[in-house]
Amino acid sequence: MMMSEKCKQHVDSCRFCWMCHHICPIGNATGHERSTPRARALGISLVNREAIELSEIMDNIYECAGCMACVKECVTGWDPVMFTKEVRMQAAMEDKLPAYVNKLVDACLDCGNAYGKTAICDTLRAKIASHSEATDTLLFLGTDARYMACKQAVKAIEVLEKAGVRFTVLADEPASGAQLDFLVGALEETKEQMAKAAGIMNGYKTVVIYDPFDAKAIKQTYHEYGVELSAKAVTYTAFLAELVQSGALQAKKTDRRVVFQDPCQLSRDLEETEEARTVISAYAQLDEMLLHGKETVWAGNILMAQYMPDVIDLVAKRRLFNATSIGATAIVTASPAEYTALKNVKDSGVEILSIEDLILA
Amino acid sequence: MQIQMNEFLFSMILTELEDAVGVENCSVRQIDKVTHSVDYYWLSRMWADRGCRMPEADFIVCPKDASEVSKVLKIANYYKLPVTTWGAGGGTQGGAIPVCGGILLDTKRMNKIYEVNTDGMYIECGTGAIYKHIEYAANEVGKATMHYPSSLTCSTVGGFLAHRGIGVCSTKYGKIDDMVLQMEVVLPNGDIITTSPAPKHAAGPDLNQIFIGSEGTLGVITKAQIRIFDQPEERRFRGFLFQDMHGAFQASRELLQKFKPSVMRLYDEAETASLIKKIVGVERKGAFMNIAYEGCREMVEVEEKILLETFKKYGAEDLGSEYGEKWWKEKITFFYPGHMMDIPQMFGTMDTIAPYNKIEEIYWAMKNAIETNFPQAKFIAHFSHWYEWGAMVYDRFIIEGKDVPQDPVEALRLHQAVWTCGVRAALAHGGVVNDHHGVGIKLGRLMKEQYGPAMQVFEGLKKQLDPNGIMNPFKLGL
Repeated sequence: MMMSEKCKQHVDSCRFCWMCHHICPIGNATGHERSTPRARALGISLVNREAIELSEIMDNIYECAGCMACVKECVTGWDPVMFTKEVRMQAAMEDKLPAYVNKLVDACLDCGNAYGKTAICDTLRAKIASHSEATDTLLFLGTDARYMACKQAVKAIEVLEKAGVRFTVLADEPASGAQLDFLVGALEETKEQMAKAAGIMNGYKTVVIYDPFDAKAIKQTYHEYGVELSAKAVTYTAFLAELVQSGALQAKKTDRRVVFQDPCQLSRDLEETEEARTVISAYAQLDEMLLHGKETVWAGNILMAQYMPDVIDLVAKRRLFNATSIGATAIVTASPAEYTALKNVKDSGVEILSIEDLILA
Repeated sequence: MQIQMNEFLFSMILTELEDAVGVENCSVRQIDKVTHSVDYYWLSRMWADRGCRMPEADFIVCPKDASEVSKVLKIANYYKLPVTTWGAGGGTQGGAIPVCGGILLDTKRMNKIYEVNTDGMYIECGTGAIYKHIEYAANEVGKATMHYPSSLTCSTVGGFLAHRGIGVCSTKYGKIDDMVLQMEVVLPNGDIITTSPAPKHAAGPDLNQIFIGSEGTLGVITKAQIRIFDQPEERRFRGFLFQDMHGAFQASRELLQKFKPSVMRLYDEAETASLIKKIVGVERKGAFMNIAYEGCREMVEVEEKILLETFKKYGAEDLGSEYGEKWWKEKITFFYPGHMMDIPQMFGTMDTIAPYNKIEEIYWAMKNAIETNFPQAKFIAHFSHWYEWGAMVYDRFIIEGKDVPQDPVEALRLHQAVWTCGVRAALAHGGVVNDHHGVGIKLGRLMKEQYGPAMQVFEGLKKQLDPNGIMNPFKLGL
């Protein structure tokens, strides 16, 4: 397998290091040793030494959520997510992706989303249509919200309406490229998808990005891949925080006690931990789970649930346990993916709310 | 009868194991086999580094509780398959490597926290819980486990129990065998037992202590009640420079008759030389010692006064608290790649323990043995777990990559020779095979040298509890 010298160095540093063994949300949920950065690195290092075949480790390569918990934990700066992504890219180039990944990649290329969806729900379509007029501000909903969590997408629009914001939502919103980047990394197809999306976004002064998964790609990965974005990109939660602070959103604080599930893309990649708290604290009493902010524990997503649904359910259940162990009865999320994963857990005894639910209640 | 494995029988056994733990928790995939074939043992790492495959298990099973472990052990006994228990693989002695194939029993699905009991001051958990996770659970109710080894994040509760681990605050709070109240154990025949409801009693020998340190050779520990403590109101640090180690030993022995600090770390002159330059900016000869003392504020005040008076008597230079505070914050940083020894270097920690009247002699004997017989090796040491009667020496050898054979068998032979030489020197002067990393396959051959006829006690237990010899074969010298 071709691999950059930089990645080889990271692989060989991580393969015999156990220091982040406790941190992988998937490993902790399944109890499976292979779901640790050191196991993934060991497998790759043995492929590099021709002791095992690449095909033997590919499932394991796709068991990483890319949540960056291990990267944040490493005091030396080794990056298991980086080498995992590089192996995905190399496998794609060598036509060695697992069949279930190929299916998702093909759907991304054909339909712009990994789910192969071609239509959105009627309510959302109507809502979007009411914001078709060109303005300075684009609300970028993202794939998960449009196709898999449309009720939340509708509420996201309603919150901005409530604040009196003039904004545009695109009927034919392009893919941000985040899903393709997760699946195959920096391939030309990924960069092309990103460039196309950036070209459209550049027609606006401000782009408000609803889904943190897209926000990471647009605010961070575009730059890394040389995709030019001239529009000001703002996360939805940061935008809401401004609306609360300016008084555009007139909040009424209640006695309701909630905890916040920090999306890892916001807290670790974009280092935004306080914006959502500003909003939530304006509407409710905010308690904290022991692991919050940059220490947050990823609670699952929709994309990986396409090929490992039982594991995603375990991940979400484990995060719910973190909440209940401090007596929480309601979790506020800021990501349609985590909202869906947590909501899918049956009989959790914990109320799952989006930040929009809290505002619109 | 030793079975002859064939595809048909293999498939039959696989279905039985899947029935016991669930299809998704029983694997014969290469990635799982490889992952469980390399632990923190230098030889397994070197073997993989050279592109060789370590011995692998035939089946990887992840039971969720004692009842599933029981089913697995009954299957293993029926087919006479070896069973190697794996916690998180952070052991340095090769104790978790499935050297005979068979079943690898990964405990990490048994990670449930059953109860955080602040009246009884314990957490009851599955032994597959990573220790850091029970520390989180303790912290959520304002308590702490006070078990802080460098492997806190890499090892399970069961792993620490299996090899008698220890943390940096051991002098005040104890070793892992002091931290456990009651345990649930699955015997090799599949019977599930619980030890006494309390660890201190006169109802016969302590069952806990039969299984703690047994490294999976006598059964599988599946549940444990682990002690928790109040967070100290105050934790203070103080660094000292002694003229030599001898003075530090005398001072520490006297100090420990008066009170127990939490952290005590004395560095030999080789380690002091590099440490002290970082602290005071210039090279100084001597033996550096870092002390932490903690608890109620009033007690800490008194302890500090006693500490300063006692150490002054022995000529220690007071270096203040800055180093200790920094060390506490970064106490596990030293173990990350880039900060820690790593391949291509060959290295090992030959920790041993003895009373004060022998420990210095052991240190010099081991240093002399290693440096004389292996001039290519560097020898450094510190003393980091202390009692009223003695202390542990954490002595390490390091051989730079250029002096390590590329041929894996030659490297193995050198590694074995260094270890045999160092541990034999310890044994000859009153030490033990190991203090807190365990025995595993690395040191099993030396157990009989330490115990002599006393080894028959372990062998008798093994024969009675595990007549088919399926549990972790060739570990612990059993």
